[in-house]
Amino acid sequence: MEKKYWKGVEELRNEPEFVRLRDNEFFENLPLDEVVSKKASSDTSTSRRDFLKFLGFSVAAASLAACEAPVNKAIPYVIKPEEITPGVPNYYASTYFDGNDYCSIIVKTREGRPIKIEGNEMSGVTKGGTNARVQASVLSLYDSARLKGPLANHKPAEWNTIDSEIKNKLGQVVASGKKIAIVSSSIASPTTKKVIADFSAKYPGTQHVVYDAVSYYGLIKGNELSFGKAAIPSYHFENADVIVSFGADFLANWLSPIEFAKQYAQNRKLRNKKNMSRHIQFEANLTLTGSNADNRYRVRASSMGSVIANLYNKIAGATGGAVVSATSTSVDKEINAVANELINAKGKALVVARSNDPNVQVLINGINSMLGSYGSTIDLNQPNMTRSSNDEGVGNLITDLNNGAVGAVILYNSNPVYTMPSFKDAMAKAGLKISFADREDESASFCDYVCPDHHYLESWNDAEPRKGMYSLTQPTIQPLFSTRQAQESLLKWADAPVADYYTYLQDAWKGNTYTMQTGISSYEAFWAKSLQDGVFETATAAAAAASFIGNVQDAASKIGKPSTGVEVILYEKTGIANGNQGNNPWLHELPDPVSKVCWDNYFAVGPVYAEKMGYKQGTVIEVKMGNVSIKGPVLLQPGMADETMAIALGYGRTKVGKAGDGVGVNAFPLVTMANGALKYFAAGVTVNKTVDDEYLLASTQMHHTMMGRAIVKETTLSEWNKNPRSGNPVLKIETPYGKKEPKHVNLWATEKNPGFPKENHFWNMGIDLNSCIGCGACVVACTAENNVPVVGKDEIMRSREMHWIRIDRYYSSDTTKENAQEKNLGKISMYSEMEKPTADNPEVVFQPLMCQHCNHAPCETVCPVVATTHSSEGMNMMAYNRCIGTRYCANNCPYKVRRFNWFRYNENEQFPFNQYDNLGKMVLNPDVVVRSRGVMEKCTMCIQRVQYGKLDAKKEGRRPKDGEIKTACSQACPTNAITFGDFNNDQSEVHELFNDPRSYHLLEELDTQPSVFYQTKVRNKKAGKEA
Amino acid sequence: MIQRFTAKLLSLFLAFLLFAAFAQAQPNGENLFNANCKQCHATSDAKVVGPGLKDIHKRRTEAWLIPWIHNSQAIIKSGDAYAVKLFEDNNKAVMPTFSLKDEEIKAILAYVKAEGEKAPAVVTTTTAPGAEKAEDKGFPWGLLVLTALLVIIFLALNKAKKALEKVVREKEGLPEPIVLKGKAHYKHWIREHKKLIAVLLVLFFVWSSWKGWYALAAIGITQDYQPDQPIKFSHQLHAGTNGIDCKYCHSSAEKGKSSGIPTLNVCMNCHKYVQSGPKYGKDEIAKIYKALDYDPSTQKYGNNPKPIEWIRVHNLPDFAYFNHSQHVVVGKLDCQTCHGPVEEMEEMKQYSPLTMAWCVDCHRTTEVKMEGNGYYTQLHEDLKKKFGKDAKITVDKIGGLECARCHY
Repeated sequence: MEKKYWKGVEELRNEPEFVRLRDNEFFENLPLDEVVSKKASSDTSTSRRDFLKFLGFSVAAASLAACEAPVNKAIPYVIKPEEITPGVPNYYASTYFDGNDYCSIIVKTREGRPIKIEGNEMSGVTKGGTNARVQASVLSLYDSARLKGPLANHKPAEWNTIDSEIKNKLGQVVASGKKIAIVSSSIASPTTKKVIADFSAKYPGTQHVVYDAVSYYGLIKGNELSFGKAAIPSYHFENADVIVSFGADFLANWLSPIEFAKQYAQNRKLRNKKNMSRHIQFEANLTLTGSNADNRYRVRASSMGSVIANLYNKIAGATGGAVVSATSTSVDKEINAVANELINAKGKALVVARSNDPNVQVLINGINSMLGSYGSTIDLNQPNMTRSSNDEGVGNLITDLNNGAVGAVILYNSNPVYTMPSFKDAMAKAGLKISFADREDESASFCDYVCPDHHYLESWNDAEPRKGMYSLTQPTIQPLFSTRQAQESLLKWADAPVADYYTYLQDAWKGNTYTMQTGISSYEAFWAKSLQDGVFETATAAAAAASFIGNVQDAASKIGKPSTGVEVILYEKTGIANGNQGNNPWLHELPDPVSKVCWDNYFAVGPVYAEKMGYKQGTVIEVKMGNVSIKGPVLLQPGMADETMAIALGYGRTKVGKAGDGVGVNAFPLVTMANGALKYFAAGVTVNKTVDDEYLLASTQMHHTMMGRAIVKETTLSEWNKNPRSGNPVLKIETPYGKKEPKHVNLWATEKNPGFPKENHFWNMGIDLNSCIGCGACVVACTAENNVPVVGKDEIMRSREMHWIRIDRYYSSDTTKENAQEKNLGKISMYSEMEKPTADNPEVVFQPLMCQHCNHAPCETVCPVVATTHSSEGMNMMAYNRCIGTRYCANNCPYKVRRFNWFRYNENEQFPFNQYDNLGKMVLNPDVVVRSRGVMEKCTMCIQRVQYGKLDAKKEGRRPKDGEIKTACSQACPTNAITFGDFNNDQSEVHELFNDPRSYHLLEELDTQPSVFYQTKVRNKKAGKEA
Repeated sequence: MIQRFTAKLLSLFLAFLLFAAFAQAQPNGENLFNANCKQCHATSDAKVVGPGLKDIHKRRTEAWLIPWIHNSQAIIKSGDAYAVKLFEDNNKAVMPTFSLKDEEIKAILAYVKAEGEKAPAVVTTTTAPGAEKAEDKGFPWGLLVLTALLVIIFLALNKAKKALEKVVREKEGLPEPIVLKGKAHYKHWIREHKKLIAVLLVLFFVWSSWKGWYALAAIGITQDYQPDQPIKFSHQLHAGTNGIDCKYCHSSAEKGKSSGIPTLNVCMNCHKYVQSGPKYGKDEIAKIYKALDYDPSTQKYGNNPKPIEWIRVHNLPDFAYFNHSQHVVVGKLDCQTCHGPVEEMEEMKQYSPLTMAWCVDCHRTTEVKMEGNGYYTQLHEDLKKKFGKDAKITVDKIGGLECARCHY
């Protein structure tokens, strides 16, 4: 016999006790908390001797556990699927559409499970961009709060029985002459609409009501009134030289932010051109888009209509049109100037507004029409098909429900009980209530049947985001639970001949999209190509001017007049938006781009108004409107309009899951109906300070200004055109031998020792601050790619957030070093004044900050165990298993980019986020280590991707192509602000960017020689018009 | 004398050569059977894939069998009733064509006849060679006797010594020494032997540190780990005797980070036909069928397949990234470099320590295979300038020792 080696007899026998001991590091729960806590030292029986016993035992147990090598199993597939090779990722094109965001995506799967979402560059709509919500959606797949199967009267049931019961009841509803209402959010899928039509044919009296919690009905209705076409046009921000936005947060939330961010950046980049678009924002609360504007003006929400009417009049006056009645506002002077700019940019101007009031949109359409925007910056021939909300329809439905005219309600991708409180009582009057929700949410818990829909990553579907532009959703994983696609449920209930939605979809495409093209002659080949590309886009009619037929006089007479008193703006956050991914901890942990607060919503109040009312940061106030009352904390937010507060929608969910329940307050009750459309600001409210209790908000940035340092370098377009180095002068520092550049004065390199050789690659990252809009897509992408832990509100309040990439936001300050002398301020008071942002309307800059990969790294020199070292390719490396957690490196890092693992987050009950349960762990990237307690971590410049790309090139015997290797952040960026590449490759984009006069290294005076460089932000400000 | 011896040796050698030549000239029925027939036929009645061949000489003539073995399908097509029936009876499993010489076929048939007469109908299970070799080391009686003898001698000598001392004392009229009892005795002894104790203590300390250091350093190193696997799969048979290429089964070693354990469809490429092994017969191969829920007699697959839970032999820690394709495709390394002579291993074991020192040592000494790889062309030129034209460019010279090559 051959020799056998066992770790012990126990292993041979594999006794249960052995297995238990092997799995548990400690085989009983030690009362360590008691030992350590203060209370214990005074009044528990734990003595010093006991403590020593525990200590000794722990040491013994730990060393025993260390000796024991666990028996690992290797379980191969029974029969390996042809396309899967263990360890090699597969990428599938798919589509994300949740009723809100549309994005064509590529799903990265490993061993059959999706782990990362990336943008699909083949899409003509999103062009490879993503946003935070799309990036985070992969974690929502592995949400343990999802239903494991259908529910009948809140009890698990079988699909078969449910189907027959529902069919029976639907039949009864039809027989009784009552209506069946399908309430859904906007549907972009033509095939799903077909399914609903089939269902309606089977059950006459079915009514499909499209209800979006955040509605664009005003826009649709406005276009109907203006052009006789109830549609939302496509916008082309890339063609606009002057963009004026009235409260539309088009870079983060409005309509199609990914697409718009891409377009917007296209005309903001200063590569090989001398001009950029000019962006003017009028708004009440400081939005992400407003933060990026060249000029931003504060306007109260109730005055917005009048401001727009005034702009209409100015332009009409100049172009010889009829004027409308308009009240004068506080920004009349600015409107005059803006009108002139717009007129000068005729044909290349674009005016957009967030308002959901159709009359306001008619005025906006009138303005755009006068400016000749239709056909250049706005395209009505290729309408945006992703929004079809009908606010009037919802109003009618509630009336019908209350009258008892509706016998059955089917909720699809809609949660009206949460978003519209009046819906709850109305819905109760329907005899049959069915929800397709993936969890027992606020609405589903009032339903008789919950027939959980697949997650979109488990589904087949299609979408038509723009007319003639199609895309496909394909499953990238087997359904995790006994769920069923909503379309299939509807088809089953309608007794459709083809109830399998995949076949149904194929049939639909065969009869529709396939016939739209002639290039591919076989349907199978056409389907395969469309599926592989993810998109199928037909050539559409060119954009053309549209004849404006709107009645502006009537519209102007109907718009709201400026009012006084407090107004509350109801807005969406970049992460949570309307709250449909409310249980996604990645999105909760993503700091709001402007306020930098996570895990909460709050009343954003301007510092001036707050001081007047006696509010401080964290003061809990109660806002009352009629019988609606909402309590929430105050956040001091510069840039708010006078007497204006803003609170984000999408928070305060109660039945979404353990990560999202009870986070923030629900502001949807403040949404009211006005002019037949939902209104997203509340006027006529009363505000009370409730208690003097301070509510603590978790913010990742406490320091709001740059304190006179050139961290984000900035210039204006006119200055930059005069001098390409403006705002970025060559830095020289004082030495005994005169002024010298920092590179000649440093500790690291000498003439003899020029530093690290970089023969092979020199990976560099360029960040164009002019393109970065601060949206946070990169932050979530990095979280997904690098297994970054979620730490929760408590830890963030202790400044222990773990994000490897953060976006610093700085406000301008009224006090500068120069004007401090004029004001006669001393050093200390100067700095404390400089710390205060401009209260009323600060300028805002964003700066993504990750490890700078210094080639003269301060962190590397102080590590006592050489756990952080430098690579020959210009990267700062971190060996976690070598790190002993002294945190010297973090203390010595001038950029504060290193993160310390205070806990073993993934195995600690104190962190109950769904990322850490067994299902949530499926999202982990197997190529990246899950860090343990007590070690440092930081951005690795996605070394796993770099190594993978290099290996691919080596296997094929070639050099890596420029752009082939991308970091997660650069891939995710919707504006291509982050460029990654090999500096040693002369042809690379990053090499070219580095030689641009706008490029600079952060804190250049320290001469850390980072591998990351930034490019000066250029604002297109007109002289003398600074706000 | 010497010449005669040489002559004898030479003649013996010649005779051996002759014998060998003769032996080669005569086709060896057994070898031929094993090489060509055994995968599908047994010499007994037992059916493997094709029918058992016992008493085939009684059922069929040589004249029928020889063309049948050469090309059975031709005979079936010709409409031979027996052949057609045989084909039908055996699930229409096609017997391959064999380009054997007539003498060879005759030799095979002779072997089958001999085997059939010799063996009663037994299943082809054979016990593993060496399995019966009992571990006959036995109790070390010799050692015991020796120890006992030594103890007796020691006691006798001690007794003699004491007796002599007593005699000397009595002769010189010295008093009886005070006999210390109990503790006092040991204390006295310790006082008397301070130096010895000190030396012993130092030695013990050095020894235990020495041993302890290596014991601690060995924690987590599982070199030679050789767990029992759920199937007694023999690499020696597959990779050694049968010479199957490693990457036939571990195909993903060329594609990705994991070399992959072959899934059962790969096993079935051969084991659909090879239903019996030389060592464990049908038992071990039957485990594949069981896992697949496959019935070899009907050749049907059931609906209840279960994967085989192999015990993982090579366990790299999670914090080390290792990619097989980097080493196999780019580094052009043989599998044996790290996995040892797998083709000689009856049961797989961990050949290398898989420690970081082991990785690093190899990276320090292994040259990068730069020739013919476009990735390295320019880099090679640069490195030649730096290290000299003929310098060995080892992996460490291109950053192969940097932390983040394996740890991220």
